[in-house]
Amino acid sequence: MKDSLRRTLWISRVTFLEAVRQRFFAFLLVLSAAMVLSSVSLRVFDFGHGELKFIADFGFGGMFFFGSVLAVVMTAQLFFSEIDNKTALTLLAKPLSRPEFLLGKFFGAWAVLGVFVLVLASLQGVVLWAREQELVAAAEQAGRIPTTFSVVGLCQLVLLQWLRLGVVIAIVLAISSLARTFLFTVVVGSLAVVAGQLQWIAQDAFLRPTDSPVYAAFLWVSTRLIPNLQQFNLADALVLGSSVVEEGALISVGFSGLAYLVAYLTLGSLIFRRREI
Amino acid sequence: MNSAISVRHLTKDFRIGIRGLKLRAVDDLSLEIPRGQVYGLLGPNGCGKSTTLKVVLGLVSATAGEISILGEPSATSAARRRTGFLPEAPYFHKFLTGRELVRYCAQLSGVAASELDAAVEDALGLAAMNEAAGRPIGTYSKGMLQRIGFAQAVVHDPELIILDEPTAGVDPVGSASIGRMIHAMRDKGKTVVLCSHLLGQVEQVCDRVAIMDRGKLVLEGAVEDVLSRRDRHVMTIESMTPAARAAAEAALEAHGAKITSITHPRRSLEDLFRELVTGSRDA
Repeated sequence: MKDSLRRTLWISRVTFLEAVRQRFFAFLLVLSAAMVLSSVSLRVFDFGHGELKFIADFGFGGMFFFGSVLAVVMTAQLFFSEIDNKTALTLLAKPLSRPEFLLGKFFGAWAVLGVFVLVLASLQGVVLWAREQELVAAAEQAGRIPTTFSVVGLCQLVLLQWLRLGVVIAIVLAISSLARTFLFTVVVGSLAVVAGQLQWIAQDAFLRPTDSPVYAAFLWVSTRLIPNLQQFNLADALVLGSSVVEEGALISVGFSGLAYLVAYLTLGSLIFRRREI
Repeated sequence: MNSAISVRHLTKDFRIGIRGLKLRAVDDLSLEIPRGQVYGLLGPNGCGKSTTLKVVLGLVSATAGEISILGEPSATSAARRRTGFLPEAPYFHKFLTGRELVRYCAQLSGVAASELDAAVEDALGLAAMNEAAGRPIGTYSKGMLQRIGFAQAVVHDPELIILDEPTAGVDPVGSASIGRMIHAMRDKGKTVVLCSHLLGQVEQVCDRVAIMDRGKLVLEGAVEDVLSRRDRHVMTIESMTPAARAAAEAALEAHGAKITSITHPRRSLEDLFRELVTGSRDA
């Protein structure tokens, strides 16, 4: 067990080093950071929702979107570069099992996404804090109650987003272990992310009574196979305190994410075990 | 139990296309590769030799048949722990240095932390890569890539080393250097299995060879046995005059023997090349 963990760790270390050297990672990080910073100058378009909310929505929106793009494309690229360049041949000829290889890829990619989320959330926190100081001063002068944001909520959101991206990575790895090409993996992976964002529609439909057992079965399978990625988007509630999030709800979202992550990694490992390299 | 690799009735089919047409890459192959020898697996492109090696290493599953490595089923990690592998045209992470790569492979192969540094330096020394080991792999020439690939294959001191086309695309100097590494492994009592279609080199380094064609084994045996023509002899004579030649012919004829050809001995172009560029390395 100890040896197995060690081998997984070595694979993830090299995967991480490979990923952070990619121009694609740097490009998306810079683009997302620019989006977070530009939210301050674009706050005049807040549509009456309040400046902090606009800044948070704009910045977190960039993090969600570009994080998903990075999770899909980078994971597929990291997997297929090993297969296409045949480095996987060298590695898998060693006493390294295929699940260890896949887990190593997962943790390496997840660590990169961790850096991505942490950098952007830190930047977002600084931007929100700077604007909050100005708004608090202005509110005090005007005798109004100032709008604030929660640092604890921001930390909770960072963890939730990281978990959400972990689920996306696990799905993409499961697809990669079956797919023959990078393009197929990216297309199907992207569709899976979109389906995950819209999963709540199927969930709602499933709760409504229907006469068709086939339709009901389809909805039942869809709602269980596809994770609800919307449930991780709690930025308003956690960071701006627009509504109360119960601790139990957070734990439930966390467990649900972990369950999907483990399930897709297990599925990927089972498929990859039979793959001919 | 004396076999390094035992292949019994191996068949491998690939399914191709949407209709799943069957392509037989290896057809009922049986081989016993003895321990402590350099064994060459020869054949034209597409004859199934690389597929055979992949099945042996557990990278591809067999359609039928049984394979064992050093007495253990080939797909087990215990068998792979005792095996080193250099793939054809090896490609490694370009951002790692040679030393980092060999260290990474040693760690994956289960070399103990206390022995890691010594094992890495030994392997680099064997592959004559100590000087270039601190450079990123992206800056290596083809010959250096093969040598660093060799180092990663032997860093965990395996009993069996499998080399797939180890000299493909390498110049004669690099090729000779790889030949020396193979001999060094045999001198240490290791078994080396190499797959190649460079027949001249195989003849120089291998103790035994197997020739495959269209997935089947067509010939197997010791190099000396399969190449020697026991009914013919070669003599190299210095300062032969026409009179000496006539006398020799008469003497041989008296015993019922006959000279069928007389030629001047030639050195090979490879020997000449190595002699001329001696000492030059592709570093």
